[in-house]
Amino acid sequence: MRSRMRLVLALTIAIAIPSIAGAQFGHPMKGQWSGEWGPKNNPNRVLLNLDWDGKEITGVINPGANQAAVKSVTFDYSNPAAWVVKIVAEGKDAAGKPVAITVDGKLENLGAYTKLFHGTWIQGAQKGEFTVTRN
Amino acid sequence: MKSSLRTALISATAAVVFASSVWVLGAQTQGDGAQGGAAAAPGRGQGGGRGRGRQAGPALPTPRLADGTVNFGRVPGEKGVWNTPYITNMANQLVGDDGQPLPEIVQARQQAAAARGAGGGGRGAGGGGGRGGSKSEPWMPWMPWSAAMYDYTSKNESKYDPEGYCLPPGGPRMMATPYQMEILQMPDHNRIVMIFEGATHVWREIYMDGRKFPEGDLLNPTYLGYSIGRWEGKDTLVVENTGFNENSWLDYFGHPHTDKMFVTERWTRPSKQTLHYQATVNDPGAYTKPFTIAWEIPWREGGELPEYICQENNRYLNRLEDDFGQPIFGPRPQPGVKPTGGTR
Repeated sequence: MRSRMRLVLALTIAIAIPSIAGAQFGHPMKGQWSGEWGPKNNPNRVLLNLDWDGKEITGVINPGANQAAVKSVTFDYSNPAAWVVKIVAEGKDAAGKPVAITVDGKLENLGAYTKLFHGTWIQGAQKGEFTVTRN
Repeated sequence: MKSSLRTALISATAAVVFASSVWVLGAQTQGDGAQGGAAAAPGRGQGGGRGRGRQAGPALPTPRLADGTVNFGRVPGEKGVWNTPYITNMANQLVGDDGQPLPEIVQARQQAAAARGAGGGGRGAGGGGGRGGSKSEPWMPWMPWSAAMYDYTSKNESKYDPEGYCLPPGGPRMMATPYQMEILQMPDHNRIVMIFEGATHVWREIYMDGRKFPEGDLLNPTYLGYSIGRWEGKDTLVVENTGFNENSWLDYFGHPHTDKMFVTERWTRPSKQTLHYQATVNDPGAYTKPFTIAWEIPWREGGELPEYICQENNRYLNRLEDDFGQPIFGPRPQPGVKPTGGTR
């Protein structure tokens, strides 16, 4: 048991340190973000894969068979330390019907490796809070 | 099989953890690193190259190689190094097509000098080395995001400067980091190598063999990018650079760049004592149009490169906190848990 705990600890450190070395100082929205949205007792895991092409942010939410394509990302830079970001995306429900996703949040900790994006997530008829950090 | 797999996993993990620990502990045992090293090194004023400035005396002839091209290094039998200046704000180095500083910058410098003369301190005005954010540098071709990012960095006084982590400066910042540098030309090998005392003790290789840039995934993004050089006549070395990663800033003040950056450098040596450096930065990911920066790098006769290891005793990292007041090397923000505290 103890050796297993040591292994878990070692793996955690091994994973954490390269993430520190993997700095990214380009467009702060670019990159892979992971976290959760929805009720705290039954949250939905979420992964954002975003890129900056020099004109707009593009990308997908939850890459894979059921991914949602990002349609637009807009920014309000009024507060340089907490950018207001709105993401509009479109996914599909289990029946294959389009589902609109609207993400309204604040992008904070902009200069640190662990950037934080949090706010309100609306997916179809569901609404909840979300928090993602940049991987 | 299972146990050998476990052994391999544990061994690999142990190796990574050990290497990481050595790196972290090494950083804890000696003096401050780049933020405290490059940025706060004593006696290293802006543009002054460790405060030593240019050499006095008449301009000596430009040394040349056997084929007549400029020798950017030492004359055989002599010693010497390039005394790279400390340029904290590239925006103050913009030049026009004539190679002269932009009139707006000259005016801003004069205003800053006047403010200093009047006891104003000279900080905050663009061009004077202060922290006025993007609005104080209207000549910069900002994109909205790069302006906002620069405003943020101005406000927190560059506390996230990647060079403060002892990461290599990228692009032209290599030539504006206040440690000495040497250029080794190897015409027989069609390559030029630049070696740096500081900037994490790195080297730069410029390929002179007429090759093209690698394409696609073969162009692996790096801090210093991929450099291909050619001679323009016998006097000017033109070096094109691309393939930069996004792990660096253009300068200490925090002008951002992206991996779309393409830098064209023009190197001349108008006299033995002076290297003229000019770089056109074309980054359509961060700026709406290219801009050109330039400065001079003085020769330090008789100099040799000492060893400087930025990573040793970089205590800055240990006391660095993020915007929420959490240690940078501490726990990550947890999904679903709103951070508390803060030092914004």
